[in-house]
Amino acid sequence: MTELGYVADVAEREFRTVLRTPLLLAVGLGYVLLVGGIGWLGGTGAYLALVLDLLTPVELLVPVLSFAVGYRALLGDRESGELETIRTYPITGHWYVVGVYLGRAVVVLGLVLLSFVLAGSVVPTSDTAQLSVVASHPTADSPALYLRYALATALFALVALAIATLVSAAARSTRGGLALATGSVVALVVGLDSALLGAVTGEQVPTTVLALSPNSAYRSLVLELSVAPTGVAVPGGPTVLVSTAALCAWLTLALGLASRLAWR
Amino acid sequence: MRSVTLAGVVVVLALLVAGCGLVVDTGDGEQLSPVPFDRTLTTGLTGVDVEQAREAGHVVPRGQVFYSQYEYVVGYYGTDALVAGVSDPSHRAQFGRPLAVFVTDLAGTDPALTDEGYVTLPDATAPGWTRTEDAWFVVGTPARTPGGPTALPFGDRGAARAFATAHDGTVVDWDGLRERRTDRPDAGDHEPPVAERQQWADRAVERARETRDRPVSMVVGTDRAAVETAVDNVPPADAAGDAPAGVVLGEDAPTLAAAVDRAPANTTVRLLRGRYDANLSVGRPITLDGTGAATVLDGGGDGSVVTVSSPGVGLTDLRIVGVGSANAGQLESDDGSAWDRRIRLTYGYGDAAVRLRDADRSLVENVSIATPSNGVVALDSDGVVVRETRVNGTDGLSGFMSVLPMYSRMVVEDSRFDGGRDAVYAHYADGTVVRDNHVADLRFGFHDMYTSDALVVNNSVRDVNTGIYVMTRPAGNAVVGNDVRNSSVGISTAGTASYVTGNVVVNNEVGLSVGTTRSTYRGNTVVANGVGVRSTTMLPTNDVFENDIVGNDRPVSPGLATLESWAVDGRGNHWGAVPGVDRDGDGVVERTYRPTDPVDRNARHSPVANALAYSPAAHLFDQFQQAAPGLRGPAVVDPAPLTDPVHPGRLETHNVSTP
Repeated sequence: MTELGYVADVAEREFRTVLRTPLLLAVGLGYVLLVGGIGWLGGTGAYLALVLDLLTPVELLVPVLSFAVGYRALLGDRESGELETIRTYPITGHWYVVGVYLGRAVVVLGLVLLSFVLAGSVVPTSDTAQLSVVASHPTADSPALYLRYALATALFALVALAIATLVSAAARSTRGGLALATGSVVALVVGLDSALLGAVTGEQVPTTVLALSPNSAYRSLVLELSVAPTGVAVPGGPTVLVSTAALCAWLTLALGLASRLAWR
Repeated sequence: MRSVTLAGVVVVLALLVAGCGLVVDTGDGEQLSPVPFDRTLTTGLTGVDVEQAREAGHVVPRGQVFYSQYEYVVGYYGTDALVAGVSDPSHRAQFGRPLAVFVTDLAGTDPALTDEGYVTLPDATAPGWTRTEDAWFVVGTPARTPGGPTALPFGDRGAARAFATAHDGTVVDWDGLRERRTDRPDAGDHEPPVAERQQWADRAVERARETRDRPVSMVVGTDRAAVETAVDNVPPADAAGDAPAGVVLGEDAPTLAAAVDRAPANTTVRLLRGRYDANLSVGRPITLDGTGAATVLDGGGDGSVVTVSSPGVGLTDLRIVGVGSANAGQLESDDGSAWDRRIRLTYGYGDAAVRLRDADRSLVENVSIATPSNGVVALDSDGVVVRETRVNGTDGLSGFMSVLPMYSRMVVEDSRFDGGRDAVYAHYADGTVVRDNHVADLRFGFHDMYTSDALVVNNSVRDVNTGIYVMTRPAGNAVVGNDVRNSSVGISTAGTASYVTGNVVVNNEVGLSVGTTRSTYRGNTVVANGVGVRSTTMLPTNDVFENDIVGNDRPVSPGLATLESWAVDGRGNHWGAVPGVDRDGDGVVERTYRPTDPVDRNARHSPVANALAYSPAAHLFDQFQQAAPGLRGPAVVDPAPLTDPVHPGRLETHNVSTP
């Protein structure tokens, strides 16, 4: 069996573990209903407006979801002693972590995308009053904006899950894992941005600062990809490049570090 | 196959679909094409300017803009309005950036200029449309629209050059034209031009009242003894010549008309108490001065009672009855009127107690009128003053207009209007001033048709259909300090660049109906109405701020169009107690108030709504909900609600408790 086969085996195991955990399923369902509900609550007939309505809640909820799904991934194996057994298998630590990550990522991405399908369905179904005597046009609003938003959010969810996996690899006990996970969510959602807020004092701030906070990188990516094309004023800059690179770097570094810590 | 692989494939496929969003080029106006102009939301020139230009066959360059965040196409009369609509930051904030801008293409139409500079197309070809970035604009020629000098757009550079050469102009492109735009001097100016219009009215009153100072040339009565006594009582200083002539009707002259015909110009004819048969025509500048309600001019129910066809006629201290009942003139006749022929001929020639035509600076003062049709009709008469006059019309809609200025800049002041259709119906009476009147029990208090730059100030209106009703897209009207109560609609507006300030609307079904663009609504007290403020505008570009909107069943009824934000420079309106707190004590609550939202609207009396209004969830959703207003459903938000009332005294009068 190839290494890739083992990765798939591990992923399958993780996938089934998540699906067999009622608590996680409840969290997932809650997430989907919450995001979908926010979309329907706004009842907007435009994708841009929907993106703006969802932006802040989703930015808060995606890390929560990712950490809920991910923070016990490696920790659980370690605590139950299964890690010792797995070590005897012909798979290296790196591939084991990748497998764990992929298995759980499928769940997280599935939930994130499902919630977007639910929220996005509000736009075509909401009937905005149409004045037939006045000529109308489709405006700059388009489903493409929403698709871009979904794509950016998927990347963000992957980063959050990677950080959750890292926490899971670093933690030594359930209690420690919970504390670390909570701390990380708070740091992601509030802490890093607060630090940036404090750091941004001058007029000229390099765009690369965005890389320091995954949330800010994600937010600026959405603003640039989904909001700016419609004419909402967004300051120009190489934000798409910087943000994407930053998110990818967070993902790789977190996973890399996790795979080192997992096999200790 | 492993289940994770299956799920993974589904997720990856979904991501691929989402990835398609990256390759679609959004916000591209290339595929848009112009629509028929009459299907756009039109703004720019006033309704009357457009009508007149159409009638005369003059071409007004037009534009249409497709905004990125507004589904309706906006049409502009005049290149100035177009440039403003594309460049104005408030338009951008509301509607997004322009995806495509089209402008009239005069290339190939061989345009010519009249002596006044209006554009005509000799071949009567209908010009097409071109994109502004492909267009060339000729500026600096005598070309104009009713709104002022204009740039003329051509889709072809050669045609533009040819026209520029022929008329001493220069050719610029779209960017060049936008750079030439000078900001409107009144942009951001929220003060209505009340003082200057009041001054004009004061001068007009002063001039018209000079008719009261004329020497008495004649005393008319029905009883010889009374006439002789009255003649003797005229002081020599007030008499024309040695002494006024005494005229006893039925003896010295057969009719009042015959007597008045004898009076020399610029003198006063004094009418003693009594009843006079009068279907009178006054063709010279004289003053008919009665004794008040005891001097009755009776038209016998046939036609108009007094017809004036001379400037400077005074009609003072009279009572007029027996007015004919024809509300409208004959449509078959012809008085040379043009675009508004129908209105002018029907409305301008109905029966009236006093009909003025070409009667500049005439005065109607202290006249009491009972009429089944019109009270005072003024046609082509500037500077006419109606003051301290009382018009009683028939109840219901069978009556007509108490005062009807038409093609006449007029002052109506200190008068009372009761019954009939409209107290003042202004048709193309630019600059008319209506002030300090009392109106009750009729249809509209002030009815503005095609009338710009009017001032309607300090009138009180009760129990009518609509207190002040502005129609037909005029500009620059000021409705200030009026008090409208117990009516279906308090104040209803239309047009552009207008001012509605300092009014009190109480206990109406709808307090204020906002149908204007780029206008100011400030300092109004809107209390105890069914609906406080109703928005009907399709182009929400008004400044609505520092109003007290309290104690209405529903504070706001949103328009048809989009989300509107009512605040200027961080100051919104006072809505009573609203959710949120004023942390820094600057009198502004640091939380957006949504008068059209069920939670915010009910927060004051429902503990559930109040608790919800303070929830983090509400706060969370608040983040971006005002962004992209043009794409949102109809709603009104106030991002800066005021903690204290703007006019607390007025609210106390109406027993509205303030926190």
